Amino acid sequence: MEFLFHFGEVFTLTSMLLLIGGTIGGLILGATPGLSPTMAVALLIPFTFQLEAVHGLILLGAAYTSTVAGGAVSAILLKIPGAPANIATTLDGHTMAKKGQGARALQLSFIASLFGGLFGVFLLIFLTPVLAQWALAFSYSHTFWLAIIGVAVIGSLESSSVVKGLLSGCIGMWLATIGFDDIQGAKRFVFHPALSGGINIIPALIGLFAIPQVISMFAKGRFDTSVEQITVEKHPIGEAFREVFRRFRALGVGTVVGSIIGLIPGVGGQIAGLVAYDQSKKFSPEKAKFGTGHSEGVIAAESANNAMVGPSLVPLLTLSIPGSPTAAVLLGGLIIHGIFPGPKLFDTYPEVIWPFINSMLLGQILMCVFGIYIASFAARVAQVPQSVMAAIVLGLAVYGSFAVQQSMNDVYVMAALGAMMFFLERFGFSAAPLVLGLILGPIAESNFVTGNQISLAQDGPAVYFLTGTLNLTLIAIAVVSIGYSLWSEISARRAAS
Amino acid sequence: MNMQQHRISSGVITLLAIWVCYLSFTERPAEAYLFPRIIAVFFLAFAIWTFGKALLGRSNTGVGLSYDMAVKMAPGLLVSVIYIFWAAKAFGFYTASTLTFFILVSIYDPAPHGKIGSWVKRAVITVGFIAVIYALFAVVLKVYTPRGMFL
Amino acid sequence: MKKLLAALAISLMSFGGMAAADYPDRPVLLMVSYGAGGATDFQARIVTIPAGNEDQLGMPIAIINKPGAGGRVGWNWFATEAEADGYTLGAYNIPHFIAQSIKGGVDYSKDSFEPIANWGADPAVFIVGKDSAFNSMADVVAYAKENPGKLTFSGAGLFVGHHIAALQIEKAAGVKMAYIPTKGGGAAAMKAVIAGDVLGGVNNLSDAFRAREAGNIKILGVADLERNEFLPDVPTMKEQGLDVDNSSVNFRGIMVPKGTPQEIIDNLAAVVPKMFEHKRVKQRMKAGGSPLHIMTRDEVLAMWEARQKTLEELLAGL
Repeated sequence: MEFLFHFGEVFTLTSMLLLIGGTIGGLILGATPGLSPTMAVALLIPFTFQLEAVHGLILLGAAYTSTVAGGAVSAILLKIPGAPANIATTLDGHTMAKKGQGARALQLSFIASLFGGLFGVFLLIFLTPVLAQWALAFSYSHTFWLAIIGVAVIGSLESSSVVKGLLSGCIGMWLATIGFDDIQGAKRFVFHPALSGGINIIPALIGLFAIPQVISMFAKGRFDTSVEQITVEKHPIGEAFREVFRRFRALGVGTVVGSIIGLIPGVGGQIAGLVAYDQSKKFSPEKAKFGTGHSEGVIAAESANNAMVGPSLVPLLTLSIPGSPTAAVLLGGLIIHGIFPGPKLFDTYPEVIWPFINSMLLGQILMCVFGIYIASFAARVAQVPQSVMAAIVLGLAVYGSFAVQQSMNDVYVMAALGAMMFFLERFGFSAAPLVLGLILGPIAESNFVTGNQISLAQDGPAVYFLTGTLNLTLIAIAVVSIGYSLWSEISARRAAS
Repeated sequence: MNMQQHRISSGVITLLAIWVCYLSFTERPAEAYLFPRIIAVFFLAFAIWTFGKALLGRSNTGVGLSYDMAVKMAPGLLVSVIYIFWAAKAFGFYTASTLTFFILVSIYDPAPHGKIGSWVKRAVITVGFIAVIYALFAVVLKVYTPRGMFL
Repeated sequence: MKKLLAALAISLMSFGGMAAADYPDRPVLLMVSYGAGGATDFQARIVTIPAGNEDQLGMPIAIINKPGAGGRVGWNWFATEAEADGYTLGAYNIPHFIAQSIKGGVDYSKDSFEPIANWGADPAVFIVGKDSAFNSMADVVAYAKENPGKLTFSGAGLFVGHHIAALQIEKAAGVKMAYIPTKGGGAAAMKAVIAGDVLGGVNNLSDAFRAREAGNIKILGVADLERNEFLPDVPTMKEQGLDVDNSSVNFRGIMVPKGTPQEIIDNLAAVVPKMFEHKRVKQRMKAGGSPLHIMTRDEVLAMWEARQKTLEELLAGL
């Protein structure tokens, strides 16, 4: 309960200004394609040099929470996920926006983010010591299997065929191996010099989602545009709150899955949204509605995203192990002020850490308030004529992917992957499994290779990867997940014929 | 036609899978290709399965791409390719973006090309968008974009 | 097209000429070939804080990260693609990039870059988990002798400082251990030690110092010529009978690509060391547990030369 005594530090003028500024700035940065939460927080670090430790951390905490939620804005309105965390949000959120329900989608996403986020931060406050041990229980073999579970999720993302989804996933994992091999330093599959830096995930994400849209808009030609005039529906906020509570199953699944996955170092927020989306689809009686602008999809994905924020800081604060790229940057922010995370952190620096955590609590609420405020007019984006929209999305995609590493190669890769995806989508393949493969490939590979090397000094790979309760549990989940997807595909086909 | 397109793309993917498999098992150092080998085998298996189903005509195809659509998207695609792969670096990011934006909006804007009003509107939208982009990326984020001939 | 390219080249050249006169007239980039939040990134952000001041460079320095493959991605980019106009600086890590260039498969060598100044020296240390049975390097060596190839210990990759230290320790003790390179820099290697995935590890002194402060690990030895001010109680490898010198010490500093105008190099070589000596830099580096070690361009050139020799000898057998 100690955190309650430290709200005083947050309610000073400077802190509140930083909190509000950090939240609004974070929402804008998060909504900008190409700016992942990690980059946004890294950009803010120099500002915190000028501030006292406690103020600097309040700013970083507010920015972290709101950039994660802000990513939903471009995911919903433009179908460009701001970060890997928001991929699942595009599936139903953008479909809703296209139907003119952008305001509803945004409101749902911010409210779901609020609940998920608060739950996650409360976990951080109350269960940190317990959770820290749990985070350490995941060794290389376990993280490898976890990545494989992520691959298994692919099976149900691709609704038409499990095998086709897995095929896309394999293409994604193969694309991820292009460039330098991380351990040996060998160049792999570099058939063009622009690929020597490998395929960076953010530009790839932008390309795979944004470019097919742009080309599709081109393909509609000049006169089609006025035909489908979209009316943007207003959506009362009370209604949105009621809807989130009516969909408590999706909210619950999203929050729990997000919290658990957020805790595991190395996997983190990248796949929390997608796994939660997949799970709530499996638990839902309205499976068929997923992907057609169903509110459960948005709620599950976004509550998971923000639920992961709190737990992802557990290994950082108690063990000084950054569980995600963003946590690594936050670690830098702490160290710069001479604060070393560790088991004694909460005893040595209570006057800094508790306000930091409190700022994330308040940040969630502010994020939700401002988010809902912008939702009603942001949704008008759907009314922008196709001709203008195509040009805007193209421009944002180019600038966003360039900004990640200030590299033209990233822009080329973005465009090439995007064009490829357009044709694949037209010809019956889908983007989401490919992206998931691209994200999970490196996680699976590095954990497999490192685990393999350790196992060779011990009892061999078979023992290392295939024994132990946790390994077997994870393998079982993967097998059940694929089996379930196959079974539902077959039974659906029987029902159809 | 959709099935035909699906077949061809599945075939291309299978060829890609064969190539990836070949490279994974022949390139050196072998330690660096440990994981790609595993991927490549699954990749090839799934690709052959999908291709086989496509040949038998038993798979779900996509929405396909019609001749009409290909014609409509061609100019936009051409302008975008010139923009990304050449103009952005040669002219400078902002100049190339402004030109591309204006051309794309003009090509696909349903408003009549004969009226001055629609051209003014397109120009205003272009300037507005580039101003926002400039403010966000150059002023706030301090991204240094390639200059080329202009800016 | 050709004419256009020629015009482009001329305009670029005139731009470069102008730049030398009133350099710098716009913000300068500093490429870090490790991810945001890692030790190199974090120190680079600290030492460039004063850059924007009028009495320093006069323009802010912005960090861009190009992580991947132990730094190879970033340095390859720096050697082949970065413009040599003085507006793109790079952070170097010695012995990493020299060792990688000796191993081969990359597009850079010592001669692809021009050093400006060195800001830090971070020795490698040998660490074990807080509950480990090992209390000195002698315990580690004894275990490795009894169980050849079974003592797993982590480090941040192949042909980086940690790996060099690992090779030297193995060679000095005459034992074979299992070096486990991890992906994700020193932080990932540290996690492996704390979580007990491996029996020990080689890590950065600065990170190990903080982890020990936090009560997560024990530090058994420093791979340097003398004890470090941050860890006065930890003996060097030499003191423990292992003939390990300072070849693995991770020197960090700023460089530019070969071909940068000499005036700009001279200008930077004069200004940058002063920036590192700024009192705010000193204060922040100390607070972060990161040893500051400032060297001028000439000193760095000599150090690179010396490292090239020792590393060629050490890696010859591999």
